[in-house]
Amino acid sequence: MKVDIKKVFSKSDERAEIHVVTVTEEIQSAVDLLENNRRSIPVINTEETVMCPLDKVYYIESVDKRTFVYTKNKCFETRYRLYELEGLLSYEFFRCSKSMIINVKKIASVKAEFNARLRAFLLNGEEVIISRNYVKDLKGKLGLM
Amino acid sequence: MKSIKMVVNEMFIISTCMMIGLGIQEVLIHFSSGMSTFEMPWYIPLTIPFTAFVCSLPSALLNECDGLNKKQIVVRVILHYFCLLFVVTSCGYMFHWYSQVLEYLVIACVYTIIYGVVWLISWWLNKRDEDTINKALKIIQDKE
Repeated sequence: MKVDIKKVFSKSDERAEIHVVTVTEEIQSAVDLLENNRRSIPVINTEETVMCPLDKVYYIESVDKRTFVYTKNKCFETRYRLYELEGLLSYEFFRCSKSMIINVKKIASVKAEFNARLRAFLLNGEEVIISRNYVKDLKGKLGLM
Repeated sequence: MKSIKMVVNEMFIISTCMMIGLGIQEVLIHFSSGMSTFEMPWYIPLTIPFTAFVCSLPSALLNECDGLNKKQIVVRVILHYFCLLFVVTSCGYMFHWYSQVLEYLVIACVYTIIYGVVWLISWWLNKRDEDTINKALKIIQDKE
């Protein structure tokens, strides 16, 4: 995609105009970023519902029909099911196993494991497994396919 | 649909490996005994994709490995190996690929080699993915 940047001299003149055939997920993520309207999801924090910005989310896991959202140091529960969150999440997220969705931008590195799966090391030191069936999705997110 | 695609993919890979194994076997026979022709019953070419199809079915053992640790996966791989060996032995008996113990042992060896080669190729491809993915991650990961 061609990108043109024009310098202006006033903050009030700052604007972005996007010309596209269709609004894809990547375009929508760019729009969200530009509007400073960080997408967020509702989570439960000590019986209170708060909004958790998606750029703080490391991964989301489903355990015993309950869904938990993990940030760098905290864990919150959410009322959404995993399949419902897949539609709400931005482009950076992908399903890495049957019970987990992970934020690609929070992965520090990956290591090949037995049986064609990958072990992902997150920026906060945690490790998650990317199942072999979902490695292709990760490569798609990174533009490698 | 995904499972069907996986089974079909594996069937083609296994068929190719079996044809290569058969080819190598005949090359060795030619150079060791000087035999210049190779004859086989009319149904043998069909037995290869059939066996490959049946061999691709136990792959479900290796696909549902979420939540298993390395030891459990190794056990599944060993189970998978013996499952396939049973399939190869049964198909070999049904289609008369062997009539003596020595011939069966040759087939079992060729199968084991093919199995090992497929795992090695899979490991190499996975390693290559690891390097490519790590390079791509460096570009987009958050700075924390």
